[in-house]
This record gives sequence, C-alpha cells and structure tokens, in this order.
Amino acid sequence: MKRTWLFLAAAAVVLMVLGGDPLDLLPYAREIDTVVLMRTMGADVTAEGVSVTLSSGAEDGELPELLDGQGGTISGALLTLQGKGESSLFYGHVGQLLLGETLARENLLAPLDYVLRDVETRLDTDLYIIRGADAQTAIRSAAGPGESAADRLEAMSEDAGLLSATMTRTVGQVLTDLGEQEAAFVPALELAEGTLEAAGYAILKENRLVGWTQEAAAKGVNLYLGQVDADVLETEHVALRIVGARTRVKPVFEGEALTGLEIRCRVEANLAEGTPEVDLRDRRQLEAVEQRLADTERARLEAALALSQALDADYLGLKQAACLAAPWRKADIQAGWNLPGLELQVVVQGKVERGYDAS
Amino acid sequence: MGFFGRDEARIPPHPRKEPRISLPLSLESLEQVFADCVDFSHREVALAGDEEKKLTLCYIGGMVKMERVSDYVLRPLAQDSALAACPDMDAVMAQIKAGALYNLGVDERDTMDTAAADLVNGNCLLLFPGKSTVLSFNVGTEEKRSVSDPENETVLKGSRDSFVESLRTNTSLVRRHLKAPELKIREQIVGRQSLTTVDILWMEGITDPELVRQVEERLAAIDIDAALSTGNIEEYIVDCTGTAFPLVQYTERPDKFCAGLAEGRVGVLIDGLPLGYLAPGVLGDFLRASQDKSNNWMLSSVLLVLRGICLLLTLTLPGFYVAMVTFHQEMIPTRLALSIIAAKQDVPFISVFEVLILLLAFEILQEAGLRLPQSIGQTVSIIGGLVVGTAAVEAKIVSPAVLIVVSVAGIAGYTMPSQELAGALRIWRFVLAVFSSVAGLFGLVMGAAALVIHLAGIESFGVSYLTPFAANDGKQVEGHAVLRQPLPRVKLRPDALKTRNRRNQG
Repeated sequence: MKRTWLFLAAAAVVLMVLGGDPLDLLPYAREIDTVVLMRTMGADVTAEGVSVTLSSGAEDGELPELLDGQGGTISGALLTLQGKGESSLFYGHVGQLLLGETLARENLLAPLDYVLRDVETRLDTDLYIIRGADAQTAIRSAAGPGESAADRLEAMSEDAGLLSATMTRTVGQVLTDLGEQEAAFVPALELAEGTLEAAGYAILKENRLVGWTQEAAAKGVNLYLGQVDADVLETEHVALRIVGARTRVKPVFEGEALTGLEIRCRVEANLAEGTPEVDLRDRRQLEAVEQRLADTERARLEAALALSQALDADYLGLKQAACLAAPWRKADIQAGWNLPGLELQVVVQGKVERGYDAS
Repeated sequence: MGFFGRDEARIPPHPRKEPRISLPLSLESLEQVFADCVDFSHREVALAGDEEKKLTLCYIGGMVKMERVSDYVLRPLAQDSALAACPDMDAVMAQIKAGALYNLGVDERDTMDTAAADLVNGNCLLLFPGKSTVLSFNVGTEEKRSVSDPENETVLKGSRDSFVESLRTNTSLVRRHLKAPELKIREQIVGRQSLTTVDILWMEGITDPELVRQVEERLAAIDIDAALSTGNIEEYIVDCTGTAFPLVQYTERPDKFCAGLAEGRVGVLIDGLPLGYLAPGVLGDFLRASQDKSNNWMLSSVLLVLRGICLLLTLTLPGFYVAMVTFHQEMIPTRLALSIIAAKQDVPFISVFEVLILLLAFEILQEAGLRLPQSIGQTVSIIGGLVVGTAAVEAKIVSPAVLIVVSVAGIAGYTMPSQELAGALRIWRFVLAVFSSVAGLFGLVMGAAALVIHLAGIESFGVSYLTPFAANDGKQVEGHAVLRQPLPRVKLRPDALKTRNRRNQG
C-alpha cells in the first residue's frame, strides 16, 4: 500500500518537473462571480483587420453588456476587450456567432477556426450570417432593456422547428460540411425594421459566402433534409400540414459514367383545414390534393437543387448521398462528379395520411 | 524525539499476571481479596442444625438473587438431614454435587481466580472446612432490559426484537431464530479489569473454519483493561485501522445477525453491548438494508440503485460544485450559471471556503443534535438548519446554491443504511472538496482515484473490501451488489466467504 502511494507521489513529482512550472499543470481557477458570461459574439471585417462585438444576456430587465474591440485577428480584438471591464470576460457560454456579410464574402474560415481552437468557445455554437448588414449592427439593434441578441436568437432557434424555411447550424456542422463537401449552408438573418428576422440560408463554398437562397429554395433545403415540421401548404380549398419528408438520392449511370441523380422525395401531410366542397373520402379529390402537394414540394426541391448547380456548390451533400446509395460505385461517382453537368431528376410523391371528418 | 522536540512517551511493558490472585482458596483469602468491598458477604450454615458441621456461604450482594440463595441453597442445607448424616466433608461435597441442592449447575473451583470470578458473575460459593476446593452455584440476578424494538434500525416488515445488554439473552435470541444444532457458540474473556464475556457464533458446516479461527485468534490477542465500548473490540479485530470505513458490520437486530450467520459469516456478541458484529464486512454489505430482503426484489433493486446514486452524490456533490464554479464554468448550463452568479454576487467568500464552512456547520449541527436529548436535538436541528441557514443566505454569507448543494449532499448521506459508512463518506467528502478546489475536475477525479485505491487496498478478514467489484485471491467472484435478484434465484452463498457449502436452497 505504501509503495503504491510512494509510486503515485513520485509520478506526480516527475509530471510536475517535466511539465515545467508545476502550477501550469493545474487548471486556472476563476470564481464564477468574477466573470461576465458573454452570450453572443459578432465578427466583421474592418480596414484594420477584424472588429468583434460581444453581448451578454439581458437579465431582469437590464440592458445587456455590449463590447466592441478591434484587432488584426479575432484573438487580438478579444484581448483588447479583456481589460475594459472589472470582470473577466468568459466565452464558454457564447451560444451564437454572427458574421457580417462582408466578412463572410471575404473569408469566414478565420472566425470558425477561432471557435475551433479556443479553449472556451464551443463547436456547438450556432452560426448565423447577417444579410446586407454587419454583425455589430445586428447585435446592437437587438439590445434593449431585458432584450439581447442572445434572447432573440434563442427564441428563433427554439421556433426553428415550427418554421419550414430555416434551421440552426452549428460551427461544428459547418466546418464538417466545408471539410467534406467544400460547401455548406448557414441560416441567414436580416434586419427588418431594426429586428432580426430569418432570411433563408447563406450558401458557402470554399470558405466564403457565394449566394443566398430565396424562400422556395430555403424550403427546398428543409424538405431535402426532412426538416419540415409544421410547414403549412395552403391551396384553394384545403390547408395541409406537412408532417414528414424523406428524400433519397440515387445515382444514374450510362455505362461507367455518372450522368445524373434521381432525387425521390415522399412528403406526408395531414389535412389541417378544408372547405365543405372538399371531401377527401372521394378518391379523385384526394389524388388531386396529393398531386398539388407533390407539385409544390417538387418546385421547392428543384429550386434548392438549381441553386446548388448554378453555384456548383454541393451544400446539400448530394455526392455523399449518392455514394451512400451505391457504395460499390463510389469511385465512379467521385471520378465523374460534375454537379452543373448532372441531370437532376426530381420525383416527389405527396401523401395525405390523415384528415378529420367533422361531418 | 517526537514532533516539536517533545520526548516520545515510553511505553512500559505490561505483563499479564498469572495467576491473578496468588492465594490459597479459603475464606481468609476471599476476605483479603474483597477487603473494602462492602457488598461482599459470607455466613456460616449448620447442616440440618448440626453445629459440628458448618459450611460457609459467600456471595456478593446485588449480584445474587436472595430468594434463590435462600430457597435453593440455604433451605436444603438447613433442613436436609441426609447431609448432616454424611460422615465427613468429602461425602457432603459429593452429595451436594450429586444434586442435594436445587440448582441447575454446580461447579467445583480450586483456584482463587476462578472462585473470585464466579462471585463477581453472580455465583455463590460454598466453602467446606478443611477443603481447598469450593462449590459454585449460579444464583445470579436476572435484572436486564426487556427485549424491545430496535431503536436504530427501523423495521417495517420483520421481527421486532433487538439485542439487549445481557449476553445470554442475546444468544437465546439467536437460538430462537436459528434452531439448528449446527449453531456453535464459543466464549472468550476480554479485558483484564472488565473480564467481559465475548461469544463467537458460527454455523458449523457452512462457515469457513479458517474465518472462525481468525476471529478467535484476534479476540484472544486483545489485551486491554476493559471492553466496555464497541471500539474496544472492533478496532482490535479488524485488518486495518488506517481507514474510516467500517470493516465489520454491526446490527442490533437478531434476524439480520442470524441471516449473516446463515450466509457463512462469523458473529460476535459482547456482554453488556446490545448489538452483534458480523465478520467479514465489505462495502456491499453496508449498502444493503435489512429491509431489502423483505421488499419486492424490483423495489429493492431500485432502492439499491438509488442508494448508489446517493453515495456518489454525498461524496462528490460539494467537490463537483466547487470544481464547476471555480474551474469549469463552461460546463454549467447557461441559465443555471447566470442564476449562480446572481445569487453569489455579494457573497464575500470564495466558493470552496463557502462549501467547507457550510459542511463544517452541517457536521456541528448534526453532532449537536446527536448529543442533546431528542427533543432539544430536534429544536437545534430546526434552528440550525432553517433559521441560521436562511439567515446566512439573506445576510449574503453563503449563497443559496451552496446551501442547496451541502444540504442535498447531507441528506443523500442519510440514505446509507450504515451510519459508520455514512461517517466515512462525510470525511472523504471534505477531502474531495479540497482536491476539487486545487485542481477542479482533475482534482476530483484524482481524489476519487485515491479513494478507490484506498478501498481496493483494504480487506476484512481476508475478503477484499470492494467485493464483488474486486477480485479475491486473483479470482473475480460473482455477486450482486447493485441489484437484488429474486430470492429463489440466489442459490449460492457469496463465494468470497469461502463457505464449506455454497448452496443455500434447493
């Protein structure tokens, strides 16, 4: 027993000696009440380099703490901020990273790389790109008594499940997509009358912003990924609540060459509302409603795919999906991959699963 | 030279005097030994009124029951003419030994040591003129507390008797639960001054004889003045005293004691102590309550898991809190972190100081509540816990989060069936909090590792303390410490006890 303790003590001493300053081995102690929890970080490009904006949450009707700093890099800008207040700034609770459009168009890898490498920031931080404005303006516009950018974005994030044209994307997910498919999509925000609103998606390619989705394409993105919770499709006589979507990608070959992709999507919906003229027990009427559902969703899906082809940005991960569908022909798919040149055939099947006969 | 330059105390030799009383067995010797003992009495009795034939009766007042002495010893001596008709004292002695006096047993004593011990134990001695041997009759009082409900081990379903201070009553309680003649009871005397009777109980054919031998040897090796408290025996028979964890299990319930014996463990009963010890005792035993076997196996399993969680909570929660708020703020959910910051805003102390102070206050309150009479103890607990706690929070001396953490840790500790285990956990709770304050979660894990190493290094009568989680003699043994199986499926006794017969049911 004594020998065990002696061995452990000796090991601890050796570790401390080899590690240099013994105190370096121990984590850095910092009382929680001496830190300010920063909740939102924004980054913009400036003439000198980078401008960083930080915002805390707004507690008990107070104004959030807002800080701006400039530097050659994000780390440098944050360093200038540390000395501004009495408390030390803590980035472990930064939940949203906002990037201005200008920065995103130039190179957005730097802020993502900062999040990746910093010991406090998290890879599950939600990433947003501000359309037509800078992040500083967006963060400051959201600040008010009892209101902050974090509160607004968290509310949007929680509501994202109810919206069919947006979803949250974390820094980790975006970095993974950029690494694997050299393209990604990020939710976009815009300032509408001083309020942050969802504005579809920003399309990234080769670490920079290359385009935006319009509403139909944004819904197509959600449809492709099956994130269609509570999307409502309104037609002349009925309102359909989309409850599920499943998409499959199948590569199409001519001989050894990849010539196109067949994208098959099955959309399920429930009858949300209907006028007395509609009776879904009538097979013809039901088929007509389902056809209308399929046509609408096909158009959305085609819009998203068309944008992908136009930008030559595989932000939906079509190549990976095709490889997974036919893994034995992975080499052929990778060799013949030319997204703009592929023929994309979209097949959508609409299915109204359930309705309520109130009569 | 000891610490601070002080001389170390020299421990002189302590030889045992044998025989204890170096005097011939006679009335004069007894009077000499019991000089200045006001309760020592003797009187002469003429056999059937024959003044030529007189015996001397010695006893210690208060230790013997006077009616028994009068009716079963004095009356036959005074009235039995057959005794007076005996030609000499040898014949009288032989006739009494043959049953002339109405007593269950009669012993012949020929040394002062045994004779004096008999007197103290409530026997009366009959001295025959000119003889160097005496006859000893058990006429002791039977004043003792009646068998009552166990006070410290709550019973919901099960027998409600509990051990009392009388050793023989306790063995009778065991005999009533385990009627098999294989129940063996051996006796030893411990304590030079107290001469405390200690009984060793085991089931012949089940218990490992080596385990019985170990217990006997360790008891025999005890050479103390008086065995008056539990620690007098407990600390002398365990394998390791350098631990806060209990190594033998105690119970005041005969049914639990008997269950241990039937399982293959050795029991120890001590005269004057209303509890029984079971050896060996390993960690799993201290996490099981007697009620577990009375409850449905699913409920018992859930309660066992809950107890395990509580063990972790009581041990690590204060340390975990210190680590979180001092080193790893990023691990706290944001809203909780904001709430902690707001509550801690005006508290002047660092977190670890808050936690340690409150843990200390908790221990003080607990100790005060235990030492005071029950009614006052409850008042102290209420005042201390509610009034002082609330006032301390309102005065911003401690933050509410710390109060909650320490309270939860303390309450979780109360779920331990063994108070001794709970006590050990309380000590280690402090240690882990200090480790956490130095190095955060790294320190907490290091402290926990030190605890596991410590526990893995101790044994109870040759059985690893972490059984069944640890191997014994290099062999991993099966066992169910976390969940309780339905009893019909538990067909084997624990392997670690090395019982002679592992099957416990058909």
